[in-house]
Amino acid sequence: MTVAARPWAAGVRGGSPAVLLVAWLCGGLLLAFILLPLIQLFAVQTGGSMLQVARQADVRDALALSVGASLLTAFVAGLFGVPLAYLLARVNFRGRTAVAAAIDLPLTVPHTVAGIALLMVFGRHGVLGEPLETLFGLRFWGTLAGIVVAMLFVSVPYTVNAARIAFEAVDPRLEMVARTLGMGPLQALWRVTLPLAWRGIATGLTLTFARSISEFGAVVILVYYPMTAPVQIYEMFLNYGLESASAAAALLLLVSLVLFIAFRHFAYGRRLIAGSGR
Amino acid sequence: MSALALAEVSLALGSFTLGEISFTLEGPEILVVLGPNGAGKSVLLETIAGFHRPACGRIIIGDRDVTALPPERRRVGFLVQNFGLFPHLTIVQNVALAARGASSDGAAPAIGELLARFGIAHLAEASPLVLSPGEKQRVALARAQACRPDVFLLDEPFAALDAPARDELRLELLRFLRAARIPALFVTHDHTDVAALGDRVAIMREGRILQLAASSEVFHRPLSRTVAEIVGIENILAGRITSRDPRGLRVAVGGQIFWAVGDGPGGSEVDLAVRADAIRLVATDDSAVAAENRIPATVVALHNLGVLTKVTLDAGIRLIACLMTRDAAELGLAPGAAIVALIRAADVHPLVP
Repeated sequence: MTVAARPWAAGVRGGSPAVLLVAWLCGGLLLAFILLPLIQLFAVQTGGSMLQVARQADVRDALALSVGASLLTAFVAGLFGVPLAYLLARVNFRGRTAVAAAIDLPLTVPHTVAGIALLMVFGRHGVLGEPLETLFGLRFWGTLAGIVVAMLFVSVPYTVNAARIAFEAVDPRLEMVARTLGMGPLQALWRVTLPLAWRGIATGLTLTFARSISEFGAVVILVYYPMTAPVQIYEMFLNYGLESASAAAALLLLVSLVLFIAFRHFAYGRRLIAGSGR
Repeated sequence: MSALALAEVSLALGSFTLGEISFTLEGPEILVVLGPNGAGKSVLLETIAGFHRPACGRIIIGDRDVTALPPERRRVGFLVQNFGLFPHLTIVQNVALAARGASSDGAAPAIGELLARFGIAHLAEASPLVLSPGEKQRVALARAQACRPDVFLLDEPFAALDAPARDELRLELLRFLRAARIPALFVTHDHTDVAALGDRVAIMREGRILQLAASSEVFHRPLSRTVAEIVGIENILAGRITSRDPRGLRVAVGGQIFWAVGDGPGGSEVDLAVRADAIRLVATDDSAVAAENRIPATVVALHNLGVLTKVTLDAGIRLIACLMTRDAAELGLAPGAAIVALIRAADVHPLVP
């Protein structure tokens, strides 16, 4: 059988085997390019080095802060992003495409630029930072609130976009049918549309979380202290060199990966890999 | 007695308008709404269900004026394309969710009983995704019935089905609606739905009802050229009335003279509607068949549809006839064959301009 003779083309109907072989080669190189540095990061650890760095209070604090701030960011992104996504998916209002484009803007802004722009708004003398501190005592420099603001700016597009696509995939007529079956508008949303869009929303929240925990540029400019894990690693790299920084880096990578896989598991049921069918 | 009445309901939705829709359905009557895409059929249903607020007019369901009520308080059963089951819930959860909404006024029947009545008790724990169209329809009806609707609104529920499945589901739906004695509005763009389901049919275009009458009336005596086109009448012939007498009208169409039964001033332009199945084809003009119009013609093309065959004829004007494929074979019809088309004057229907 030709299929058995060309394992790279197994299970595929149509498509030239030669094209598929080239596609596999390109894809394989790309996969190696992504995985090799990450594997290498763990490979150089002596085991003791990661344990030792995990015992340092400042590293542990930085990791905990990163995880906590990222979770909080994902929560805030869901709170404000999901309703906006619903509007974008369901209401054909004037300027809808402009709003959708504005939501994507943070993806194109360099993160150091984002940090500086945020500083001008939320900083000590920023247009929001100053009145908010005077009125409510809410400060954004050197605080968790500042870290969340920086993370939210760069990561909220993922939640809005994923949730919008998820809502668009839910037939609006299902919500109508729910209404005729005696459900009020909120009940129909809660019992029919949200459960059906949940997987997409959860994917968006997971991406927002992942993007938040990996954010460095915006956070380091708006809030240097208290240090999140990426800032801490940067500081270790500057002060103590590659070896101790790499141990902390491996630790952060481990924590991020475990949480990322756990969230995906949560969002997709038992399936760990997205897109492998429903 | 359940009833549905609309009184001069008008609505503007962006650039689309629904114009002065009025009709009354009594008891278990089924009204089929037929029209091309974009005619506003779905908007009409959604307005009755309460999703669009009419600019003026009243909507009565049962004996209640529901014009100002939200959809959840109108008691309408709404069946949409593919039946709109909630895919994240099991069958019993689908029905229970509907019954929950109705239970506030204590009218919800027991869910188990409902599933058994519709013959879907064995599917209680199944997902809607694995159901056949027939099973989906029964679940959708059971679920709607849990809310004790006063009227059923059906928006092309069979549009995605193949013909045999459609026939079967239509029969089952008809049986249910007759037994439940609930009026129903059935929206479709499929002619076969009209003949099979409708007591009456409303022809809709551009947000207006053009004709509302018994289905045989609309199919045989359409009010206007537009209605004739929508119900799919094959021959619409532009002509001029030459004279009228007690037997009917003489109408010149191309080089032919047609006898038609109808009314109209002499000399005026008129369109004639002739259904393809009203044209009888014979090899030679024998007087055994009574018909006022006897038109010699040449076969241009044959279009075999299975049991039926459509024949395009050239008689100076183009005519389309439809006959049993078997009869076409017996007549030895082939392109180029000479034939005589017989049409009774009663089957030539002058359209109101």
